[in-house]
Amino acid sequence: MAPTQEPYRNRIELLQGTLDMLILQTLQWGPQHGYGISQVIRAQSGEVLQVETGSLYPALHRMERAGWLSSKWGQTEQNQRAKFYQITETGKQQLARDRSKWETMVAAIGGILVGQGVGNRE
Amino acid sequence: MNLWQWLFRSEARKSDLDAEIATHMEMAVADRVARGEDSEAARRGVEREFGNSALVKDITRQSWGWGWLERLQQDLKYALRQLRKSPGFAFTVIGTLGLGIGAATAMFTVVDHVMLRPLPYQDAGKLVAIHEANSQGKEIDSGAPWLDIEAWGGQSHSFEQIAFSGRLPGRTYLQGNTTSMQVGGVSVSPNLFPVLGVSPSLGRGFVQEPVGFTPGKDANTVVLSDAVWKTAYGADPKILGKIVKINADSYTVIGVMPPGFHYPFDPSALQVWIPFQLADRDKTRTDATWSYEVVARLRYGTNIEAAATELNAIQKRVAVNYTDSELREQRSGIAVKSYADSLVKADLRKALLALLAASGVLWLIACVNVTNLLLARSSARHREIAMRGALGASRWRLTQQLIIEGLVLSGAAASLGILLSIWAVKLFQHATVSHVPIHISAGVNFNILAALVGLTLLSAMLSSAWPALMAAYAPIGPALKQGGQQSGISRAQNRVRSVLVVTEIAMSLILLVACGLLLRTIYTLRHVPLGYRTDHIIVASLDIPSYRFAGGNTTTDLYEPLLERVERLPRVQAAGFMSQVPLGQNFNIQLGLRLNGRSISSKLKFVSPSIQRIFAFNMLAGRFFNEQDTATSQPAIVVNRAFARLHSPDKHDPAAILGTHLLNLRKNTEAQIIGILDDEKQKSIAEPSQPEVEVSISQITPDSGLYQPTTMAMDLALRTDRSPASIIPDLRSILRKASPELESATIITMDQIVEDSYGSQTLAAHLLEIFGGSALLLCVAGLYGLLAYIVTQRTREIGVRIALGAQRGNVLWLVLRQAGAMVIAGVVIGTGLAVLGGKLVRSYLYGVSTHDAWTLGAVALLLLVCGLLAAWLPARRAANVNPVEALRAE
Repeated sequence: MAPTQEPYRNRIELLQGTLDMLILQTLQWGPQHGYGISQVIRAQSGEVLQVETGSLYPALHRMERAGWLSSKWGQTEQNQRAKFYQITETGKQQLARDRSKWETMVAAIGGILVGQGVGNRE
Repeated sequence: MNLWQWLFRSEARKSDLDAEIATHMEMAVADRVARGEDSEAARRGVEREFGNSALVKDITRQSWGWGWLERLQQDLKYALRQLRKSPGFAFTVIGTLGLGIGAATAMFTVVDHVMLRPLPYQDAGKLVAIHEANSQGKEIDSGAPWLDIEAWGGQSHSFEQIAFSGRLPGRTYLQGNTTSMQVGGVSVSPNLFPVLGVSPSLGRGFVQEPVGFTPGKDANTVVLSDAVWKTAYGADPKILGKIVKINADSYTVIGVMPPGFHYPFDPSALQVWIPFQLADRDKTRTDATWSYEVVARLRYGTNIEAAATELNAIQKRVAVNYTDSELREQRSGIAVKSYADSLVKADLRKALLALLAASGVLWLIACVNVTNLLLARSSARHREIAMRGALGASRWRLTQQLIIEGLVLSGAAASLGILLSIWAVKLFQHATVSHVPIHISAGVNFNILAALVGLTLLSAMLSSAWPALMAAYAPIGPALKQGGQQSGISRAQNRVRSVLVVTEIAMSLILLVACGLLLRTIYTLRHVPLGYRTDHIIVASLDIPSYRFAGGNTTTDLYEPLLERVERLPRVQAAGFMSQVPLGQNFNIQLGLRLNGRSISSKLKFVSPSIQRIFAFNMLAGRFFNEQDTATSQPAIVVNRAFARLHSPDKHDPAAILGTHLLNLRKNTEAQIIGILDDEKQKSIAEPSQPEVEVSISQITPDSGLYQPTTMAMDLALRTDRSPASIIPDLRSILRKASPELESATIITMDQIVEDSYGSQTLAAHLLEIFGGSALLLCVAGLYGLLAYIVTQRTREIGVRIALGAQRGNVLWLVLRQAGAMVIAGVVIGTGLAVLGGKLVRSYLYGVSTHDAWTLGAVALLLLVCGLLAAWLPARRAANVNPVEALRAE
């Protein structure tokens, strides 16, 4: 995940499982529509992560089919009709599983990055 | 989403998705505008950022699942549209495949009904029929004597139970509410119904006790079949306990079997069952002992081979008890067959299987033809397919689409095939009733449906898979180029198509050769001299209600008065009796007698002396019966040449047997052989004559040992120049006056009997004519199609040739040569296959060998001529090509 200097030009491919986790996490805070989800992710990651919409909507529909999300048409603050997604119980369990996997992965990689290397040192 | 949603709400969901994405883009644009961009730039920016929204929608929709179903739907709609655009092609393909599928389904229906039909017994697969056989395995059809059956039951461990049955001797007449009707009376062991696993639907079966020589608890009871209960007693619910008369005896009805139950299996028979009673005749094992049909249920875990081995060992010990060495030899072994198999005669089964194979060949030819047509069509569409490939369709997608087109065609052909096969089976039903005694209904069961579906799928796969694969894997570039007609692909394809046509021709040749051989057989059969006259003869087959004449003498009470009355009818030249007219199939009497200390067996017929005036049998030596042979004069018998040849004291002169004494017609008076008949065709025209003994009924009295068979059945023959329609009513009224049961006798002409005796050969020949003719038609069509296509493809080349100086004749020769090569190759291969496969049909042929050069030559010539005819039109078109136009057309 490389840092970026210019917003709106980043096309970062997020690993599929990671994207799912981020969407589920976002929806912990309440139901949201597709555009809102992408904006929240962008904002909360400090403009680093911009979800490509080509991956967002397939992911949302896929997760809905898997039963992790449920959807409903509703009205936004601007009185626009939009489809709101909401996390389900199964989704919450999936999120917990994903987070623990992520933490394991981070600890493992972190261990290598800050740990004692072999060779190249006297 | 699930299937329900996909079926009914996919449109709604698609527009939902569009709305969702549209909303997303609106909000993004609004945000940008709020940040200060102008709306145009904002919109462009959002669209660029979003990417290919159509692709996104597509991927999202795919994630819903059911994509394959949607593609299937698209392919189906497209296939139907394509077919509607080229109706000629569609009709040709559907007609061709329909013919093949229909023929194969019809034959399979027949085979299924005859050979695979379910029997009305529980777990019929475990039922076996047990026959005694000699050491070579030749079976005795008549059954086994009681003592043997008892021995098997006591010593064998392979069966749960063994049951037996015997048909009641003579004709059985049941007195119904209004009329007396003939029924099949069967006397059965009490355990028969439990062995078959069927219980009566009304009342009870017989008490389970071992058979004995004294009357059991169920003496004089009877169980009726459902058909008899309904026909004779109008389904009377109070039938139980009613007393009914069978022949002259009274029986109490104790039960009625469920509908559809028959034993011995014969769906058209009216049957009643009475409990078996042993008698003196069952105490021994001689010629005179009665034999019974045996059916048994295999014990769980035993199979037929193990049971057969065990029984063979037992029978070796049992056969020692036969005092007569010949009987011992005839019954020294056992043959065990599943009951279902024992119902169908071996040669009928072979005939049906052969016809099934022939229909399969026709189906293959149809498939090959359709493959050819589809190949041609796909090469015509190669540009369209290349375009699809260029637009991104995967090879699998293209193949799938073409295969679905093939399936649609095949499905339509299957519906046509069903109609054809129903019609064909009905035709078969009419034909077989007279020729072959099998019963078919046009009913459809699971087997047939499965066969039909299998055929449809197989046809589609066979005929469309290859063209589909070839089309899908064709390279795209050359196809899209202009004027890419002469690419190497089409050359290879033409080779493939030629090979297919050659195969078609070879297979048609096989069918046509089989048809030709069979036709020659029938022709030969029709010209075999029979040994007697058959013109202007009317035959009435009488089943005699002997119980009416018990205690009297049927000859004087019934036959002689009948003869007198019939001869007095106007324009009747002669009338006579014969227990079975030649070539009739109803009534055979087998006689065992002693000659010179040996036991011999021969057929026996009873005749009246006047029969010679009707049939004009050729006499080899001596004389036929005449008025001088009466009940008090010297008993006389007439034998035929086959008998004389076998038993004459002088091996080289059959006539030397004249004057020999044998056979007691009356007590202590041996009869003398007074005449020898020349060989005549008795049972069937193809079979050689069997030894036969004839006795005049005027010499048989009730105290003779031979009296009883004369009272069972008799054929009345009369020679008249009146038409059958005019004389039959008179005949029937005379019969009715003699005895009411005789009125319903079968009356036909002798010519008809001869015709019917050809039996399965005529039927098979007709079917093969149809198959062969259809195959020929398909071949010609296939060849014509291929040649027309090649000529169209090579139009430019031909134009060049003509421009360079080729004559019309040269061009004609070009096309004809190509056609000729294919036809000759097909004929050669087909002839080779026909010669190799000749062994399979040898048993149906008579008087013609399987390698008959005339037939093979004639069929080859026929195919050559038809091939040239098929090639004529394309050749003429090629020769008439205008070189200027051809070179101009791209």
